[in-house]
Amino acid sequence: MEKLENRRNPELFQEIPDRTNLHDAAFETRPVSFLEDSLKRFAKNKASIVAAIIIFLIALYAIIVPFASPKSRVDTTKYPAGFRDDKFAYALPYNQMFKGTGFWDGTKVMAYNENSYKALQSNDSNHERFVELDHVVTQTIAAKKVSQYYVRIDTYAVGNFTVTLSQSEYAKLVEHDKEMAKADKDYKSIIKPMIDVSSYLAKYRATMEEDGQAEGTITDVLDKMKTFYNQNQDIYYEMSAKQSNGNYTSNSFTAVFDAQGKVIPIYATDEQGNYVYVEVQADNYTVRVDYYDYLTYTLGFEPRFLFGANDSGQDICLRLAEGARFSLLLGIGISAINFIIGLIWGAVSGYYGGRVDMIMERVTDIIANIPSIIVLTICGIQFTNNIALKHAIGQTGIIILGFLVAFVYSGWVGVAGTTRMQFYRFKGQEYVLASRTLGAKDRRLIFKHILPNAIGTLVTSSVLMIPGVIFSESSLSFLGIIDFSSSGINSIGVLLNEGQHAGLQNNPHVLLFPCLVISLLMISFNLFGNGLRDAFNTSLKGSED
Amino acid sequence: MLIYILKRLGLMVLTFVTIFFICFVMIRLLPVNVDTGMKDPEIFYRTMVAQGRMRMTENGSYENIPVLEQLGTFLARLFDPSNDHRWGYSYKIEWLSSPDEVLFKRLPPTVMINIFSMLISTPIGIAIGIYMALRKNKWQDHLLSVLVMLFISVPSFVYAFLLQVLFGYTWPILPPLMANIQYGYFTPEVIASMVLPVMSMSFSSIAGFARYTRAELTEVLTSDFMLLARTKGLTKAQATVRHAFRNSLVPIFPMILGEIIAVLSGSLIIENIFSVPGVGALYLQSIQSRDYDVFQFVSMFYIAIGLIGTIVVDVSYGIVDPRIRMGGGK
Repeated sequence: MEKLENRRNPELFQEIPDRTNLHDAAFETRPVSFLEDSLKRFAKNKASIVAAIIIFLIALYAIIVPFASPKSRVDTTKYPAGFRDDKFAYALPYNQMFKGTGFWDGTKVMAYNENSYKALQSNDSNHERFVELDHVVTQTIAAKKVSQYYVRIDTYAVGNFTVTLSQSEYAKLVEHDKEMAKADKDYKSIIKPMIDVSSYLAKYRATMEEDGQAEGTITDVLDKMKTFYNQNQDIYYEMSAKQSNGNYTSNSFTAVFDAQGKVIPIYATDEQGNYVYVEVQADNYTVRVDYYDYLTYTLGFEPRFLFGANDSGQDICLRLAEGARFSLLLGIGISAINFIIGLIWGAVSGYYGGRVDMIMERVTDIIANIPSIIVLTICGIQFTNNIALKHAIGQTGIIILGFLVAFVYSGWVGVAGTTRMQFYRFKGQEYVLASRTLGAKDRRLIFKHILPNAIGTLVTSSVLMIPGVIFSESSLSFLGIIDFSSSGINSIGVLLNEGQHAGLQNNPHVLLFPCLVISLLMISFNLFGNGLRDAFNTSLKGSED
Repeated sequence: MLIYILKRLGLMVLTFVTIFFICFVMIRLLPVNVDTGMKDPEIFYRTMVAQGRMRMTENGSYENIPVLEQLGTFLARLFDPSNDHRWGYSYKIEWLSSPDEVLFKRLPPTVMINIFSMLISTPIGIAIGIYMALRKNKWQDHLLSVLVMLFISVPSFVYAFLLQVLFGYTWPILPPLMANIQYGYFTPEVIASMVLPVMSMSFSSIAGFARYTRAELTEVLTSDFMLLARTKGLTKAQATVRHAFRNSLVPIFPMILGEIIAVLSGSLIIENIFSVPGVGALYLQSIQSRDYDVFQFVSMFYIAIGLIGTIVVDVSYGIVDPRIRMGGGK
């Protein structure tokens, strides 16, 4: 009754004069587009946001590091593919922040016997290889106590090496040493006294002759010892081939200690008894340098590796960034191509239906059932043997082309199937019929009316395709079915392969970081894709408010 | 039903034959490198001529016969009962043995590992899925969902490596590589060395089963007939086990059947990492050494398993739940 009363209330209702045209009032609030609505739903999904941020960070890492890292901007004549130095092979990950903690500081624990343990503590380079004694294991073997010393060593302290310089380079190095010594009292010189192996060998020959060894043994031992000194340039002290049982062996050498338990250096001296620092032959100046400091001096940055180094002393951090960049580009590129092909195929097959659909379905059936591994192998072998093609696009081009063919050839089938389903869903609806009645052509119906409705699902399926491509590429190049080694391309799979060859037992760090990045990429892309799917799903609108 | 199965089988055979022809032509077009890894080129040529794949030219060198002609001879030889080497010869992996022999020798390790992995992952995965569905939107469900998501997303080789490093090297309680199988498949060493590959294969399928079971069971648990069952006086446990669980198994059972078929195909990556001498390793080996006849045979084997798996899954849907008619009319 009250409502009826209200109706008569002149304050609430207003009489409208005749002959006024009435129109719908325009909305005063802003219209919410489909995209905005989806974005709003996406923003509510925290896991997807985090995943999107992680993907963004990995992409940033992949873009910035190859440009910013000083290791990629070294002299290209000396280092054609970025900095590498096999003296730092398998150097462990080093992070300034963790220095001295024993974790992520480039140190590792290794076992030494008593003699090598004593020798390890003496060092004439600027960086101590010996960090700390971790623990000692003493065993009694044949009534004798044998100790194993587990020592934490610095994998970056590679010791001293001889390098050959030109005259000007040598003069600059000496000048640098002098200036630095003037500025800083504690400065340790880069140039080290030369060692004189040949005179030590002559001396050792005399010792062996005194010991009554046969000439054959002596030559053999001295030969091996010479090679040993050449290969282990950081050893600057006397070594002996005598074993504890009094026999001589040419297989292993032990350090000689004086009465104080110190090693005996074999530095080269001139007539006055001064150390010799350089050997000059024509324009070649051979000097013995502290290798780490020398590299720092020539390169302008310290050879430290955040993620460690691989078997040829390359920075894993840099290579991983390049690999991630390649893998991401490949993933996005192939997904985009597959998306376009699948869209067209699925649209035609779904829209026209009937016999066209049946034939197209059989074709996709056959294509989908041939594993891409077969196509990849066949393309790889065929393209490599095609000399004209090789000339046209080069070795790298051939590998990428083979890969593209193998992945595009069956990759679009999934998108085509999804598109076909979407077309079946929408093509019978009234709005399409209405449009058709008004004379819309097939093309207009497909692209203007049906496709925009299906685009959410399709975009999601193609985003979810990216991790699939990255995964396939990395597993195939990990298995060696795609061989990038001759092309100089890095991908995450190449790094995984390298990591497996480096040996999980001794150098797990080579594998650790690529595994970490690919896992992160996979997880984030999956979360991101799921978030997109929910965001584009209009039926979820308001369900979680 | 019978007509449907026959129709599907007929289509499968058609697809298989088409794929086979395509693969045959593509593989036969590949150049053969006689110089590397071939024991005796003379015998190679002789067998090639005997198979109708090459012929001698007038100047004594050999040339390939056109591929379609080769296809004809191949089919004729394939259905010739007196022929021992229907599928050609393995020239690189095992000199002059036939590809089917090579493959069947490699089947047992693969089948063993896959069966173990399936026996472990199916019950655990379903159990976890049921638990998650019953604890839906509680902290247990959230925790397990995160774990399931992690295990599905992270590539299987990552946890293969992780397991190998952890239990094989850092804390050496299990052999990191597959033990030698020449003394039999059930020696303690072989069983122990299978633990790591089986574990790394199981994780993702446990996660897959858990996710699927959870999705199915939560849907069934909220359906109307569950409410009816409760109103009729069934306890929650009775209703869940007798009504909800059985119904949720409808799509899971075909999934298990699919896995049983896939037992025959080996995982390339896992077999490579743990050096399992199985089918996957053979496939990889045939690609790397370019042993084309073996490559062709193993490829067709994988394709056949894939096709049969799809059919079995589709048909079993209809058997498990008669309401479902895959591909049926309107």
